[in-house]
Order: sequence, then structure tokens, then C-alpha cells
Amino acid sequence: MDLTFVIFLSSGLLLGWSLGANDAANVFGTAVGSRMLRFYVAALVCAVFVVVGAVVSGAGASHGLGQLGAINALGGSFTVALAAAITVYGMTKLGLPVSTTQAVVGGIVGWNLFSNTATDPAVLTKIMGTWVAAPILGGLFAVALYRLTEYCIRAIKPHALWLDQWTRIGFLVAGALGAYSLGANNIANVVGVFVPASNLEDISVGALTLTGQQRLFMLGGLAVAAGVFFSRRVMMTVGRNIVTVGPVGGWVVVLAHSLVLFVFSSELLRASLTRLGLPPIPLIPVSSSQAVVGAVCGLALAHGLKGARQIRWSMLRNIALGWLATPAIAALIGYVALYFVQNVFEQPVYQPVMSAAGM
Amino acid sequence: MAELKISPFRRTRILASQIDEMLDVVSQAALAYKHAIGHYIRSGWDETAEVKYRQLDEFESRGDKLRGTIGQTLYSEMLLPDTSGDVLGLLSSLDRLLDDMEHSLEVVRIERPEIPTEFHDGWLECATMAAEAVEQVVVAARSYFRDPRAARDHIHKIHYYEKETQRTALQIIEQLFQSDMGLDRKLQLRGHVWLIDRLADKADDAGDALAIYAVKRSV
Repeated sequence: MDLTFVIFLSSGLLLGWSLGANDAANVFGTAVGSRMLRFYVAALVCAVFVVVGAVVSGAGASHGLGQLGAINALGGSFTVALAAAITVYGMTKLGLPVSTTQAVVGGIVGWNLFSNTATDPAVLTKIMGTWVAAPILGGLFAVALYRLTEYCIRAIKPHALWLDQWTRIGFLVAGALGAYSLGANNIANVVGVFVPASNLEDISVGALTLTGQQRLFMLGGLAVAAGVFFSRRVMMTVGRNIVTVGPVGGWVVVLAHSLVLFVFSSELLRASLTRLGLPPIPLIPVSSSQAVVGAVCGLALAHGLKGARQIRWSMLRNIALGWLATPAIAALIGYVALYFVQNVFEQPVYQPVMSAAGM
Repeated sequence: MAELKISPFRRTRILASQIDEMLDVVSQAALAYKHAIGHYIRSGWDETAEVKYRQLDEFESRGDKLRGTIGQTLYSEMLLPDTSGDVLGLLSSLDRLLDDMEHSLEVVRIERPEIPTEFHDGWLECATMAAEAVEQVVVAARSYFRDPRAARDHIHKIHYYEKETQRTALQIIEQLFQSDMGLDRKLQLRGHVWLIDRLADKADDAGDALAIYAVKRSV
């Protein structure tokens, strides 16, 4: 791994760190905020499973993102990741809703425009469709899980203390699944744009062989894992905001969110659906925060009219706004940044690709 | 025991059994109180009444100890983080019931009031209703821990027994002051009736609090 590659990769690692610091709260915020789990236990489990998820299952969503635009020069990958990081940072500072996924997609579209690479409208539509589908699916999962959990609790009638104990274990299991899925699904945001330009080779450690892509995902996963340990304040904030639903409700939200990320990143699930003759689920990075908001709204709606009144509908409007605003801003920043990197710093940001017609 | 010590569920198992024990203690104390008052009305303060009083005193001490231990464990181990305050409130209410039962019997032990025969039935009914109110608090509290939605099925019975205790107590006090006994004796007996009535009042307060705790747990 040469130094140039590491320098170029730094913007992706920064994006990974920020993703870990922010999105770990979606996985373990409820558990830590409601004092069901200690922060360091949650952070450790989260960090380990994020890396495992990224290395083992990161390829699916990364391939899905790659269909939008295969950035073929390290300078381009660096700039797109940087544009996404700047967008996320700027919009967070302005208090606007933002998703790393949408920022990265915007950055890639910006690169496509800059390099005269055609953006496949079908792929873009598919990606944007998953953004709408993710919160809705989160809501549906939350309703189904809540109903099932409520039924089981009423049937078993556990002592409050045992319910507390099971909820803690449930938080750990759901959180581990959530962290795994976050790693698998969102690693594409962190280092996905570096995959086509990466020159990392396969390595073997004992019986374990890591492909070049898996090494890249491991680096990205480690950056996310490092960010997780800086997520305490965000976890407490998110946890306290959602904790009005109670620990069991919080667990339902975490599990629903984890399942959404899992659905959009599991190659095994996709293959199983295809074998059954069902339409395959696109493996695309989705917004973890929006999946959580969808799950919280679903949980509120499961409580009927009383719960529906508690939903802050402005939050949903902001999400819809984010679907359009974030990629547009990231595309613009990306386009301008690519111009500077190419013309001021004289770094290649794309390799011209000969089209089939021209060959 | 080594196997038990490494069990991750050991702490929960112990705490659940301590809460159950606390509820058993209050329930047994209510039975002992009812028995002691009944026995005193029939036979005066003798060895049996003394034994019941000592039992009640032990129940009260045990209740204090259990409340402290459970509260400390709940907070130090961060158990039931969302409802630990409610659980402690409930345990405090139960402990106050133990205090009141012990205090009521202690005053009888010290003053040994002479209860006229015509008041025996009403007096016994009043004490029985108050003890029933306490027992219903225990049943509702057990339900709170396992099936909070069912707690209200027992809470309305607490209100019923409290009303019955109050009605009987007022009836006794009215009859006392219409009788030709001396004012000092009337005041002394009224004090004892009030102590029984206060026990039912405390049970009613515990029932009201439980109703709110149960709604919070059901959400």
C-alpha cells in the first residue's frame, strides 16, 4: 500500500469516522440513552460488528453504488469522498437533515457530470427508490415487531425484572446485527468510491484470505469503528429523544432499523429471493438515520391515533427535503472540487474510458 | 453454588425473589394484624396477642431491610432504568403499610383499650376491611410486576375496602359518642378506630399510585 493511496484514502476514512460518530447512535443510542447498556460495552460491540459486517458483506451495497459511477482515478475518489464529507459537515453545522449515503451519491453524480460519464437514470431511480423505501420499510418492520413483542409479553407475562434482563440481551443482539448491517451497508459510502481505483492486493493470514477489496473495507470499517468511540454525546441525545417509547419500544426501533440495513445489504437474502422467483432487493447503501425515524414513526402509529398525534411531521418533511437537497449540494461541491483538484493541484480525477462505439 | 455465582441471571433472580418476599411479608403482616385485632377483641391482650405483635414487629423490620436492599440494587446495578423510581415508590408505600399496622397494634398493646361488647362486631369488621385493603394492594402490586394491565382489576377492590373501612369507622365513632361512656374513653377508642381507618387510607393511596405506575408500564 503506497503513501499516495493512503493520502487519497484519508477523505474516505474521515467520512468513515464521522459516520461512526453519528450513526452508531442509531444502533445503540436507545440502549445507552435509556441506561440499558453501558456506553463502552455498546461501543465495543458496535465497533467489532461494524468491521466484521464491512469485511464479510460490504461488497453487495458497494457494487450497487458502483453501478451509478465507477470512479476510476484515486484523485476522483478522494475528491468525491471529500465533497460528501464537506456536505455532511456543512449541513450538520447548519442544522439541516443530512445523510452520508445521499451525499456520496450526489458526489458520484457530480463526478459523472465532470467526467462526461453518463448517469444511468434507471440506477439513479433505483437508488432514490430505496431511500423512500427504507424509512417506510423501517416503519412496517416496527409495527410488525411491536405487535409480535406485545403479543409475546402479554402471553408470557414475564416479571418486570426478567423483561428488563431480556430487553438488555435483546439490545445487545439487535445492536450487534445493526452494527453488522451498518458496516455491510454503509461501508460503500466510506470507501465504495475507492473500489474501482484501488490497487490493494489479496493477503493471506494463516487460513484467512482477504481480497484487496476486503482490505479496503477493513480500513474503512476500522475508521467507522474509531468514530463509534466518539459517539457518546450523540448516543445520549438520540437515546433520550427516542426513550419516551420505553426500553421495549426502543428495542423494537433498533431491531427494525437493523433489519432495514440488513435487507439492503444481504447478498444471501437477495439470492434466496431470486431462487424463490421473487423480485430481488437492490443492494444499495441507505440512510441509517432515516430508517430509525421511519421505525419510530411506525412504532407511534402502532399505538393508534394517540401515537400518531405524537409524531413530529416536520421531521418527515425534512427527510423528504434531504432526498433532493443533499445529493444536489454534494454534486455541486463535488463538481467544483474536481475542477480544482484537476486544474489547480494537477491530479487526474478520472481516466477517459473508450466507449464501445468508439472502439 | 459456584454455578449459581457465574450465572448472568443470578442478580435478577435474587432481586425478583426479594420483591416477592417483600410482598409476602406485607400480605402475612395483614393477616397477622387482622388475627391480632380479632383475638384482642375476643380475649384481651394475652400471650397470643403478644406473639402476633412480635410477628408484626419482625415483619416491619424485614420490610425496612428489604426495601433498602432492593432500592440499592436497583440503582447501583441500573436495573429497570425507566421504572425504578416507581418501583421504589411502591416499596415505600408497602413499607408504610407495615409501619401503620405495627403502630396500630403497638398502641393497642400499650393502652389496652376496653372495647364494649356492642362494638365488637363493627370493630372486627373495620379491622378486617382495612386488612383486606392492604392485601388487595399486595395482589395489585404482584400484578404490576407481571401483568400491569390486570392491576386495575385489583385496584378498584382497594377503593372498595377503603370505603367500607371508612363507613364502618364512622359508624363506630358515631355510636361511641352517642353512648353514655366517659369522654376520655370515647376519645381513646376514637383514636384507635382512626388508626385502623388510616391504614385503609394508606392502602388507598398506594392503590392510586399503583394505578399510575401500571399505566406507565403498559405504554
